[in-house]
This record gives sequence, structure tokens and C-alpha cells, in this order.
Amino acid sequence: MKRRIWMLVWVWCAAAACSAAESLAHPTVVPVNERGARLYREQCLSCHGAKGEGVADKHDEPLYGERSVESLARLIAKTMPEDKPGTCVGEDADAVAAYIFEAFYSPQARARNNPPRVELARLTNRQYRESVADLVGSFHKIRQTTVKGGLRAEYFQSNGMNKKDKKILSRVDESVDFNFGGDAPVDGVAQDQFSIAWAGSLLAPDTGFYEFRLTTPNGARLYLNADLLAGDSNRRDDSDARRQPATVDLWVSAGSEPRVGTARMFLLGGRSYPMRVDFFKFKDAVASVRVEWKPPHGVWSVLGAEHLSPEPSSSVFVVGTAFPPDDGSAGYERGTAVSKAWHEATTRAAVETANGVAARLEGLSGAREGATNWTESVKAFASKWTERAFRQPLTPELKASYVDAQFEAESNPEKAVKRVVMLVLKSPRFLYPELGEDAGDYRVATRLALNLWDSIPDAGLLEAAGRGELRSPEAVRSQAERMMADGRTRAKLRDFFHHWLHMEEAADVSKDAKAFPGFDEALVADLRASMETFVDRVVWSETSDYRELLLADYLFVNRRLADFYGMKFEAAGAADPWVRVACDPTERAGIFTHPFLLSVLSYHRSTSPIHRGVFLTRNVLGRFLKPPPMAIVFMDDRFDPSLTMREKVTELTKSDTCMGCHATINPLGFSLEHFDAVGRFRTEDNAKPVNAAADYTTVDGDVVSLRSARDLAGHAAKSADARRGFVRQLFQHTIKQPPAAYGADTLERLDAGFAEGGHHIRRLLVDLAVLTAGQGFGTQLSSTP
Amino acid sequence: MNLTPRRQFLRDLGISAAALPFFAGLPSLRATTARAGKQRMIFVFSPNGTVPKEFWPDEEGESFQFKRILAPLEPFKSRTLILKGLSNKIRGDGDGHMRGMSCLLTAIELFPGNIQGGSDTPAGWASGPSIDQEVRQFLQGRPETRTRFGSLELGVAVPHRADPWTRWTYAGPNQPVAPLSDPYEVFEKLYGQVQDREVLGSILDDVRDDLKRLGRKVAKEDQALLEKHTTFVREMEEELKESAQHQLDHAAPALEPGVSTENDDMPRVTAMQSDLLINAFANDMARVASLQFTNSVGSARMRWLGIEEGHHSLSHDPDLNEGSQEKLTKINIWVCEQLAALARKLDAMPEPGGEGTMLDHTTILWTNELGKGNSHTLDNIPFVLVGGGLGFKTGRSLRFENVPHNRLWLSVAQAFGHELKTFGNPKHCEAGPLALG
Repeated sequence: MKRRIWMLVWVWCAAAACSAAESLAHPTVVPVNERGARLYREQCLSCHGAKGEGVADKHDEPLYGERSVESLARLIAKTMPEDKPGTCVGEDADAVAAYIFEAFYSPQARARNNPPRVELARLTNRQYRESVADLVGSFHKIRQTTVKGGLRAEYFQSNGMNKKDKKILSRVDESVDFNFGGDAPVDGVAQDQFSIAWAGSLLAPDTGFYEFRLTTPNGARLYLNADLLAGDSNRRDDSDARRQPATVDLWVSAGSEPRVGTARMFLLGGRSYPMRVDFFKFKDAVASVRVEWKPPHGVWSVLGAEHLSPEPSSSVFVVGTAFPPDDGSAGYERGTAVSKAWHEATTRAAVETANGVAARLEGLSGAREGATNWTESVKAFASKWTERAFRQPLTPELKASYVDAQFEAESNPEKAVKRVVMLVLKSPRFLYPELGEDAGDYRVATRLALNLWDSIPDAGLLEAAGRGELRSPEAVRSQAERMMADGRTRAKLRDFFHHWLHMEEAADVSKDAKAFPGFDEALVADLRASMETFVDRVVWSETSDYRELLLADYLFVNRRLADFYGMKFEAAGAADPWVRVACDPTERAGIFTHPFLLSVLSYHRSTSPIHRGVFLTRNVLGRFLKPPPMAIVFMDDRFDPSLTMREKVTELTKSDTCMGCHATINPLGFSLEHFDAVGRFRTEDNAKPVNAAADYTTVDGDVVSLRSARDLAGHAAKSADARRGFVRQLFQHTIKQPPAAYGADTLERLDAGFAEGGHHIRRLLVDLAVLTAGQGFGTQLSSTP
Repeated sequence: MNLTPRRQFLRDLGISAAALPFFAGLPSLRATTARAGKQRMIFVFSPNGTVPKEFWPDEEGESFQFKRILAPLEPFKSRTLILKGLSNKIRGDGDGHMRGMSCLLTAIELFPGNIQGGSDTPAGWASGPSIDQEVRQFLQGRPETRTRFGSLELGVAVPHRADPWTRWTYAGPNQPVAPLSDPYEVFEKLYGQVQDREVLGSILDDVRDDLKRLGRKVAKEDQALLEKHTTFVREMEEELKESAQHQLDHAAPALEPGVSTENDDMPRVTAMQSDLLINAFANDMARVASLQFTNSVGSARMRWLGIEEGHHSLSHDPDLNEGSQEKLTKINIWVCEQLAALARKLDAMPEPGGEGTMLDHTTILWTNELGKGNSHTLDNIPFVLVGGGLGFKTGRSLRFENVPHNRLWLSVAQAFGHELKTFGNPKHCEAGPLALG
């Protein structure tokens, strides 16, 4: 299927590294509105400033917003000038409104007056960790897997110290959660002494701290993210074989009481990690073994088949150093600021990585310590390390200063390589991916890798760049499409949806236990996973249709959720505990009727139409809201107890000051009043029938009559503003720069392609990744549907 | 400054060790303890029992002659204390080797478990802390004796597995402490940060140069960001310079590169571990340490002594096998030489901030899992103490009548000012600490 939305014609500049800001000329010719300009000068400027910037002590709030010209004109006619309202009306008001709209008020005017530029940015924390993991990983045979289903299991008969005397059975176990009592685990094994070895991979869905718990009254070792060493198989009790230190070591028992060992580990999402459990029973009265985990935002549960793979993986180098949070003030994380704390964190991370590299030097360099080619191999490794970290071939000068000089300063190769690793990871060339030599193709490769993986280019990208193949949009697109299949892209997209759907806030969801019995931490974790499953399946389906996120009339539930929400549940498989359940389409529609989101956007006991409304305004309908002029705490007990929530909110926000924004926020929030604080459908609030009907006024001034969540979803799915808002948010999260920095019409063009191409989310990601990768190389865009 | 060791001080007061618990609460005595100089102790382990006739002096008291095995300690004779007649009375689960090892410093029973030895019932870990960790906890609990690590657990050719045969120090019940057998790993633990800081200090200059070079190429608006970055680099350089002025009292030892942890490198590893240990003491990173040669049932092949057989299998040979007895004697002499070398090095170092040498403030204790290899007896376990860390009266060969070794650990704890009434299994502590002062 050939659906090329964008045709990119690239003119390769000789001066390929010309600053991105220079190619930003998209001047818009504005017809001069003489009358409006004159009236503004005469009547408004003294308070609002020449460009609407405001005047201190008079009116210091800048004149910008998203009202239409008509709406502005009405406001002016009614309220302006402040000392003589009613003197600027009719055609005068229209002319002033049109003038300020064009000159500085509208978002378009602001973008034109203050064109955003692609700012120099350092790696974000996520990009740093992903880059270092892939940098170290690039010297391994990288083995990653996405196959689910459990761990490979081998059952052995033991004989005294020989724990693996005779293999009796091989199979795949969906989890490690067995209670054998006093019996044999499988036929053909004696009950008094046997051993079991489980091996495969752990599939980590998210980035964050994971906890693991091994419980057994017998002997067991758990190994995570460690490569198997030769002879390292716990075959004999008295073996001197060099072993990886176990993540949890419960090899020696103490009576027949179960012992518990735990471990905490920071893992990167979207990757697989080698995992093993070795277990044995020797003349103990009983035998049992269980492996549990607590993933980020999750609760303790048996580590199940959904996150276990019988396939092997190689280890992943995860930087454990804590970083200060990235700047998220623009609504997305970006690296356009540095701080002392950040600088110190990058230093600690560089030291940590240097020590990690030194400890793995044989494996990474492919040579044996002390062998005749040792120094030479270590030095070759150091050169490659530098080249890959800088994402381009080394010039002779760079090789001399970053590699050769370090090996001259330090004759011991291990110490010299530590110097190189620290120097390279501290270098601005690594930390700021846009810095470096003028290497056009490599710059494109660098950006693609950041756009789609938050990481460094892989061998495929570097080779393509080396062959000069990244000069045509087709070639770049085909690389991007290849990269989409990688687990890292999946993890990055997942990260976007977490952000978009406020999923990081799950930790704060707790509800009144009396009002909502059963709504506990485990249920919240399930809700979160249910929403993740829904988003994941929509995004990675064939159609990948954004509208389905808004309109779907089904949910994915497991047994606990089905019981709580009173849904019908048919048995699920172990590797996939999620069952798709149809909802009443008149009740629920898509993502914002998911009980997780509804619960997050609610109070402890009651709903919060304001939180829901603000979320819908900003995140779903793509509108801007100014920060509230004053902070008002919602205090339930201040209201007449017989009021409904809708009545309370209406009362609370009735002033004109509030209504400036709440005229938009409230109707949207009210349309979800059919869902209580835990997202269950209801017909009554405070013993009165729920009234979810409201009139919502769009940016263009159209009034949409909403009677239910379904109406709202229908409007959102058709709304161009909502769609453009989605495109903008995905762009910002992915590229970490404002879209207008790539041309004032970037968003419009991407949005047009998105709308015409079936609202395909994954294709949109490819489009924006390709578009920005070529920026600054004389890129021109033209649309060919 | 009062450098008289506490034990000496108490003896001068005419107070016997047995009476000590009654006086322990008196503030004047407490204060004296706090003012005493540094006290340190090193526990040294070697496996498979000794050769009694080549080990124990024939004489008792102050005039005695070293037999062949202890002869390397001749230069330190007046600072040596030999204790015969101490027995590991701990019974219960586990074979003699397991209890010999894991009950040696803990003096308490093993938990029932799943590790099967050559005889007896299977067992697990020790059910209490070891004396070195008990003393460590005590010292770390007081600001005047607290150090960066408190204790160091070092090994020489200890196998890469954790079980009751390979662990002798315990932080508590079921909490074995793994010794570090790789001197480079020890170095990293002690000095890694210092070295990393040195390297950092020397590369930051290059980082700043490159920032400057690249700063010229970026857009004007972006230069502020790189300038800010450059400021942080410069600040870090200055901080590193400042911290470099707070140097260690004793520079990190230079380690010979490329030494493996395999059998044949044992002599070199021993020397490196000793140097690292003394250096850590000199820099007051710890007051307690242990040095573990191989493990219980250890089978080092001491080819550098011309011995091809493994230590453990030799130890099973009968007394009549003179060839084997001679080899076992040589093996034990070699370990004693390592002990003597450690003492010599400590004695060559002036006590930092104190009087005398470091050996005057350090007691090295050498012991074994068994009394004798071929009988697997836990009676008459070898205990030899060298140095003045505990203030015991040295230059003596003492004999006891089959007393539980718990009592020695009580003496050790009390010598540090830790007034324990029992240690390990209390039923072996009834007679109180041994009077060694």
C-alpha cells in the first residue's frame, strides 16, 4: 500500500550544518488594517502596549488568546476602553479586533512575531539512559526478544551434591509459582531430592524501578540481567566455577519455613533482560518456590507469562545514577536547560559507565586480558566507542585527542579505556547530539535515532549514512519504517501515551474505602494496565486509528476488573489475561470514558468535572487554557449537601472572571457526569438524576450540544482542533521542540496528511520523524495526497 | 595522651576480667575506654586442621620454644600468645567441616538446612553473628571508633560460591558476609572513588576545550547554554582540586597488574591483600578485618612449595604417613610466614596519630576450622595471637582444659570495651571470659 502523504524534496546543501533557525523564513503577508491600527494606537496602546505586551501598573497581562475575531469584537464593544466602555462599538470594534488578531493576538500571529527556533538541546534523561544502554550493547551480540509465554523449565533428578544428575523433563512454565508439598514436581523424579532450572527473559514494559521477590523454604537463586558465565549452572554444590553473583541468593535453607529474598532494579522499558531461576530440594520436608514482582506503578503479584519469555536475551547496561528531572514546563520533557545537579549526575553516570565498561572489557573488546593483542584490541574498542557515542566517524584530530592522547597519558589499557569512556560521556559531542562535525548523512541518522528511539543510531543507520544513502526522503522513510518495528519505538510511543493520558499520576489514585469497597491498589494497577492494553492494541493494530481511541465501545478487562465493574468475563489465557468486553455504546466511548482516567480525574469521594473538563480541553480538544487567575480549593462541605456535583461546580465558578475559561471547561466536564469517582456508570448523583447535557462552544464559536459522553467523543473524533492538538502533542513529545520551529505551517501540513491518511498514528510518527530529520538541509515540503 | 590499653589499665587497677561486668557502668572507666588509643584486630583463617606435634610448644608459660610451624613468628615472640585447649563445642546439624567453619567465629549452632556434607545431617547458615561483626557493630555504634567501613572481609582463593563451607563471618543469623578474594576489587572498594576523581580532574580540561571549540559554531542564542555548561565544568574542576588537598594519610598502594585469583597466584594475592589491609588500617577505614585462606575443606595445591596434592586430601592421610605430614607441616609453615609478613609490615608502620607501631595497636589472630585434619576433631583448635591491639599479656604459651571457644570471643569483645556477658550459645559462656590480661 502506497500512501505517501509527504513528498520531501531535499536539496543537499554543501553547508549542510547551517543553523536550523536560518531556514525558518516563512513570512506571511498581512494586509494592513489601517483603521484598526489607528484606533488601537489612539484608544488601547496606552494600557496594552504597542504589541499587546501590556503596560506595567495598567494592564500587564499580554493580549493573546484564542478567541475568534467575532468574539473579540463583541468583548471590545462590551467592555473597552475600560474607562469608557461602549465608545468602541460596531465597525470600530470589528476593525480593532481584526487588527489585534492579525498583529499579535492569535496563536498564528504570535508564532510569526516570535518564530520559535530549534534550540540547542542536551540529551534528556531518558535519551541518556537509552543511548548508554545501546552504546554498550552495540559491542555485544544484541539479543532481544518480544516472544511471550513463560520460562523454559528443566526438571532434574539430583544425587547428593550433584543437583542436575539426570534431566527428566523439559517444558515451558508460565510462571514460577509452585507448591509441591512433600511430593515430586513431575513424574519420574524422586520426591526427596530434585532440582529445577528456569531460564529465559524478563520483558520489562516500562522504565523505572522494579522489585523482585523470591520465596522458598528450599534452595534457590534468581539471576536477572546477567549473562551466563561458562560453567555457571549451579550444577554441583561444591563447584568452584566462576558464577555471576545472584540477584537473590537463597541457596542455603534454614528449617522448613519459607525464606524471602528481594531485589530492586532499575530497568528500561521495551527491552528484554536475561533471567534464570535455579531451584533445588534436598531432604527438606516440603518444597515450594515463587517469583513475584512489583513493576513501576504496579503491585506485588506473581511474575506471569505476559512478561516472561522462553527465549534468551543478552544483558542490558542500565545507568543507575539518578538524574534531576528534565524541564517539563512546556508540557513535554526537553533538554534545553542545564543545571549543576544535571552536570554532576552526568559525571556520576560517566564514572559508573566507565567502571561498568572496565569490568566487561574482555567481552566488549573481544580479546583476552594479557593476550598479545590486548592493548591493541582495547584501543580499537575505545575508538569505536568514541565514534558510536559521537554518532559519526572520527576525524584524525578527534581520534588524537579523545583516544590516542588518553592511551599516552595512561599505559595500563584498562585505566586508559576508563579515561576514554569518561571523557566521551562528558563530551558535549555526546551530550548535545546536534553538536559535532558537519556530517550531513550522520546528522540525519542521529535525528532519526533520537526521534524514534531516544537513542543512538544503530549499525543499519550508520552504514546507510556511510554509504550516503540518507539524502532522499524515500531512503529516510524506509529507515524510519524499519525502525518502527523495534521495541524501543514501542516504548517511546508508550511513554507518550502515559504522558498524554496522565498515567504517571496513578500513584495518587486512592478512593474512600467505605464508598468504594474493593477499589484498592491492586485494582488501580489493573485499571492502569487495562488502559495501557487498550491504547497499545489500537496503536499497533493495522489501522492504528486515532479516532478509535476516542470512539471504541469496548474495554479490556481481567477478572478483578470485570467483577468490580460488573462486566461479563470469559476465561483468559495466561500469556494474555486481558479480555475484550463490549460496553453499552450509549454509555461509554473511548479513552476518556475509561474508568482509569475517570478515576484519576476525580476526587477521593466524588467526581471532579473541573479536572475532567481541563483534561478534555487541553489534552483531547487541543485548546489552550491560561492558568487560573486565582487558586480556589474545592471544599465539598461548604456547599448545601443536597446539591449535585454539577450544581456545586456551577455555583463555584459562576463569576465572570471564572467563566472566561470555565465556560469551556464546565460543559465538557459535565458531559462525563454519568461516571462516578471510580468510573462506574451512574444515573443518579446525590439522589438526583444525573444531568450530563451541556452546550459546548468551539474555538470557532460553533455551539455543540452534548448530552452524553458519546456525543463528546463524536465531537472530538470529528474536531479538527482536537486532531491538530493530538498531532502537536505527539510532535512535541517525540521531537522535544515546538513544531513551528520547523516552519510555521509544519503542524498544519502534518495534520492535513494525518487527516487524509486515515488518522494513522504510527504513520504520523514516521511522517514527523522523517520531516524533522531532514531539517536544515534545505528541506522543502510539498503535499501530494 | 593515655595510650595504655584498657586491659592493661584495668589490670593496673587490680580488677580482674571476671569482675569487669560489675564495673562496666562506672563513668570513670567508660571515659578511659573512650580515650584509649586505636584498637584493631585481624582474624586469619586457614583450613584442614594443623599438625599438632609441629605446632604446639611443649612448654607452658613465658619460657617456651616455637615448633616448626610457628617458627616464622620468632621475631615477634614476646608479642605472641598461644592458646591451647580451646574447643569448638558447637554440635547440632552439619558435618565437622561445616560447623568448624561457620561456628568458628559465631560459636553458635547452624540452622537446619539443605546443604549435605560428608557426614551428619544437612544444615544451613549459622544462627548468629560472628565475633568480628559483633565487634564491628559495637565500634561503628560509637562516634569515636566509627570508621568508613568498620570491617573488611578479605579472602585468598575463596571459591565462587556461598555455603557454610565458604563463609565464616556473619552479620547476623542467616547473614553470611562474602569475602573479597580479588585484590583489584578490594582496591576499587577502598580507593575507586579517589582514582575516579583523579581521572576526572585530568579530563575536565579537555572537556572544557571542546566546549569552547564547539561554542563558536552554534547560533548566538545557544551560546549561553554552552557557557553555563562550561561554568559547571570549571566549578567541578575547582571542587576536585580542593578535595585533592584532603589527601589520605597513606597513599593507595600500587598493585602489580594482571594477577589472577587462581590457585597458583595465591602467594601474590596474599601479599596484595595484606598491603591493602594495612593501608586501609593506616587510613583508618576499618578497625576489624578478616583474611580467609581458601575455605573449609580447602584444596589449595601449593605447587610453589613443591606440593602437587590438594591440601584437603593430604589432611585425610594418617599420622603414620610421614610424607603427607611433612607436606601438611610445610603448608602450615607457609601460612604462618604470611602471618609473620603481615606482622612485620604492621610493625614497620608508625601508629598514625599515636605511639609505637601499628602492630602495637593491632592483634592478629590465626585460627583453623579443625584441631587436626585426619580426625576432624573440633577440640584443641589452634589459636595464635600476635600484636598489642587487645592488650592481652603476650609472650606466653597458655594451656586450658578443653574450654569452649565462646569464652575467648568474650575476652575479645571485652578487650574492645564491649561488655558482653554471653556470646554465641550462652550455655558455653557460663565461666565468663578467659583471663588473658
